[in-house]
Amino acid sequence: MTADLLVQALASGLLMGLIYALVAAGLSLIFGLMDVVNFAHGELLMVAMFATLVLHESLGLDPLLLLPIVAILMFGIGVAIYRLFIARALSVTFNAGMVQIFVTFGLAIFIRGAAQFVFGGQFHSINDSWLANRTVAIAGIYLPLPQLAASLVCLIAFALLLAVSRTEFGRALEATREDREAVGLIGIDRDRIFAIGWGMGAAAVGVAGAMLANFYYISPQVGANFALIAYVTVALGGFGSLTGALVAGIVIGEVESLTALVLEPSLKQVGMFAIYLIVLMVRPRGLFGRV
Amino acid sequence: MTRFGLFATVALLALGAGQARAADDIIIGAVYPLTGNSAPVGLDAKAAFETAVDIINSTHEAIPMVMGKGGGLDKLGGAKIKLVFADSQADPQKARAEAERLITQEHAVAIIGSYTSATAATISQVTERYEVPYMSADNSSPSLNQRGLKWFFRTSPHDEMFSAAMFSFFKDVGAKTGKPVKSVALFYEDSIFGSDSSNVQRKLAAAAGITVAADIKYRANSPSLSSEAQRLKAADADVLLPSSYTSDALSIVRSMNEIAYKPKAIVAQAAGFQESDFLKGAGPLAEGVLSRSSFAGDALKARPAIGPVTALYKAKQGKGLNDNTSRQITALQILADAIDRAGSAKPADIRTALVATDVKGIDMIMPWAGVKFDETGQNTAGTPVIQQVRNGTYVTVWPFDVASTDVVWMDAK
Repeated sequence: MTADLLVQALASGLLMGLIYALVAAGLSLIFGLMDVVNFAHGELLMVAMFATLVLHESLGLDPLLLLPIVAILMFGIGVAIYRLFIARALSVTFNAGMVQIFVTFGLAIFIRGAAQFVFGGQFHSINDSWLANRTVAIAGIYLPLPQLAASLVCLIAFALLLAVSRTEFGRALEATREDREAVGLIGIDRDRIFAIGWGMGAAAVGVAGAMLANFYYISPQVGANFALIAYVTVALGGFGSLTGALVAGIVIGEVESLTALVLEPSLKQVGMFAIYLIVLMVRPRGLFGRV
Repeated sequence: MTRFGLFATVALLALGAGQARAADDIIIGAVYPLTGNSAPVGLDAKAAFETAVDIINSTHEAIPMVMGKGGGLDKLGGAKIKLVFADSQADPQKARAEAERLITQEHAVAIIGSYTSATAATISQVTERYEVPYMSADNSSPSLNQRGLKWFFRTSPHDEMFSAAMFSFFKDVGAKTGKPVKSVALFYEDSIFGSDSSNVQRKLAAAAGITVAADIKYRANSPSLSSEAQRLKAADADVLLPSSYTSDALSIVRSMNEIAYKPKAIVAQAAGFQESDFLKGAGPLAEGVLSRSSFAGDALKARPAIGPVTALYKAKQGKGLNDNTSRQITALQILADAIDRAGSAKPADIRTALVATDVKGIDMIMPWAGVKFDETGQNTAGTPVIQQVRNGTYVTVWPFDVASTDVVWMDAK
């Protein structure tokens, strides 16, 4: 194997890894805030991709310009999901854990079925965006523009999320995470914080979906391709840690890329899970997980 | 009404229906998925068979194909073919039960089917037991005719024949253009479809003295195929042979484009590469891609029956013929021809006539050399075609005698 191939694989792995990190960020955020694993995360990604597709086709706007619109739309969907379902599931006192699992699991199946009903099972692609199918070569290393842009957006989104965590609201989030009962005593509306947390989580995955729509096919099943990787990313990085999601996303992107290059490509998920299992043995809470 | 009363009434009605039927109708059972996930395919099949029945039974201007002159079966005094459809829901057990019902209750003299190979496997066990011919119109698994069945007949090529056709094409196109295939890259998903397809291709490459420059089994529906694309680029084989469904077909052409790699030629094992979502989604990246196919809707000159048959089908179903519906019409046409030649509605006589079938390609809508069954019931003259994407649609480029356009071969760089 030549050095060129290796460098190219590392570059591709880094770009994909940042996208995985962005997909996982929303999942990590919601989990960190209220210990709920959102099994419908992949479906939210799929909804964001379809939203981008529909808006692109109806308004003729480029997916890049649609980014804020899709993010706001997904924020609304996140808040709605919390208010309609999650808040009620959280109020259950008996078998609460199971109810929370089934509510998001059921939601996943429902959203997927609804998408199948509305859009059919076909595969859609956006081919006429500014970035679609374009690539640049720097010193012999090819960097596809859609992935490059998605990586930059990912870094910006992480910077924003980390900045938010330093504001007054961020401290309220943190306090709610620490002790959801006690915050009520100091005038923090727990329900509102949770709703905004879901909104932010969905908006983050919405941004990822809008960027993915530039270079990946869109179908009702597409969420599943990314969801599993998102769960491993969150577990590897440490549940609830944004920095962890970022680092773990990159690690997984690189492991995937290198496994496919050096070993059998059909084994690339084995590589990912091997890394996770090794980290689990050494550091069960994940790379950046809190005790 | 008592339960017995209800039962008796239903039985009487069924008897009455049986007697009302014209004495000389030839009953053929058709088992297809008419409900469930595969229902769209089954409903298209139903329309295709009804088209074929119309052509055989009714009086009309002669269509230049076997059984194309209309007016029923001559040797049986103008007897009409009557189809009875049964719904398998693509479930092998339901297919078995329905086939049995068609034979024992509806007195079908032959069964035709069935889209999925899994249902064909159970139906053909039933037909073997009742000694009734099973005509496989569109099942593609190579193992179906290798089970020592006496009553199994398949007009369609199976998956191994499709791969063999690709390698015959390599030989022909190499001789014609002076650009022979010296190496291939296998790229296939980690499923039974991918491994079966690649196993045959590996064997055929070895037999033809062609190097396998890359042998890549990938994970289906991966978020990224960029490393896989890099390996293909590093190997840079003369021909890339992908066996992929739509999702990965889209991913791999995009991933190769991202690293500025365009294989000299892509020859696909149909599947995803034949789908309209692929052609639309890949857009300019699909241009020049080659794929095998069993039907060549554009071979109008070589197969004059395609025009009128397509028009009849279109009047029913609102769309043109495809790979499946064309094979279904052909299977029923061949079966009806055998019954006519047998001059008898006895399954054993029909079987004897089927064994003796020798229909020439020009007398069909298929681009095949013809229909001739070997001792396993497989049509050995069902030669597939190679098509190429030109201006966003597939056109037939091989065999050269049915091609509508000259192939663009290893030019794109």
